[in-house]
Amino acid sequence: MIFLIVGTQFPFDRLVKAVDEVAGKNGFDERIVAQIGDSSYRPENFDAVPSVEKALFDRYFAEADSIISHAGMGTITMALDHRKPLLVMPRLKKYGEVVNDHQLALAGKFEQLGYLLVACQAEDVPGKMEQLKSFVPQKRQPSAEVVAARISTFLNELAQLKN
Amino acid sequence: MVKNKGKLRICLAASAGGHISQLLKLAESWDDYETFCVTTTQVVRDKLSRFGEVYVVGECNREHPIRVVAVLMRCIRIVLRQRPDVVISTGAAAGCMLCFLGKMLGAKVVWIDSITNVERLSLSGRMVRYIADLFLVQWPELAGRYKRVEFVGTVV
Repeated sequence: MIFLIVGTQFPFDRLVKAVDEVAGKNGFDERIVAQIGDSSYRPENFDAVPSVEKALFDRYFAEADSIISHAGMGTITMALDHRKPLLVMPRLKKYGEVVNDHQLALAGKFEQLGYLLVACQAEDVPGKMEQLKSFVPQKRQPSAEVVAARISTFLNELAQLKN
Repeated sequence: MVKNKGKLRICLAASAGGHISQLLKLAESWDDYETFCVTTTQVVRDKLSRFGEVYVVGECNREHPIRVVAVLMRCIRIVLRQRPDVVISTGAAAGCMLCFLGKMLGAKVVWIDSITNVERLSLSGRMVRYIADLFLVQWPELAGRYKRVEFVGTVV
């Protein structure tokens, strides 16, 4: 099963439509579950809901063979944590999908590092969905505890000064 | 470790989405202190509720100046009521406002620029950099490009 996630706040018709076109092709036999937020495009080849409650969202995520989503950090982090093959399409400023192209820069960097696949344009989606079937993401090892320790040190010093 | 509860009152500020998820990864850093939270939408309120009172100020960005003013007014009310000693934020616009407002009232500012800023700091980050007391980035290249910016590791 492929879990398509667009985020709950802003529409992303470009991605939903591109995936729908792939799903409509002869011989496509994967199940797609879609959470498409405010998107106005209605897919013809799979069921889509605007939002999914947290527990169900987590279940779909765990069950999915792969994830397709916008290049939001929330979904990317979750996919990396679960080591799920992930294909992202960055929201782009030129289509009015986001206020700047930060999603593009991040997605490009993460694709370089082997964490995920990127489709910048709708026409990249079919090929990338094919690659996604056998894509094994690199393991990412963040160091949140080191960052937290740096902040703790800062706060503790401050608290001492207040003594 | 000596309990410092009550010694510092910390404002945790993050917009819904990736900003919150990155902030939450740092939760152990403020374990010993009193906190309250500011975010941008009701939907994410529950994610923050274990860190004290949660204020929701609404979404805004530079494309919607009127909303920016509305959010700013709410942020002003919050800092005046809460008088934080420290503002910790991962962004974005509302977090930036709270950093500046907090600073004006004497608070220290801790900024963690989101990992999504690969090539340069976020717009908010570029402004907050001038007043931040601790400014952390998640790409080593960025620490080399800007003064008073530290890289110690990545949150996500």
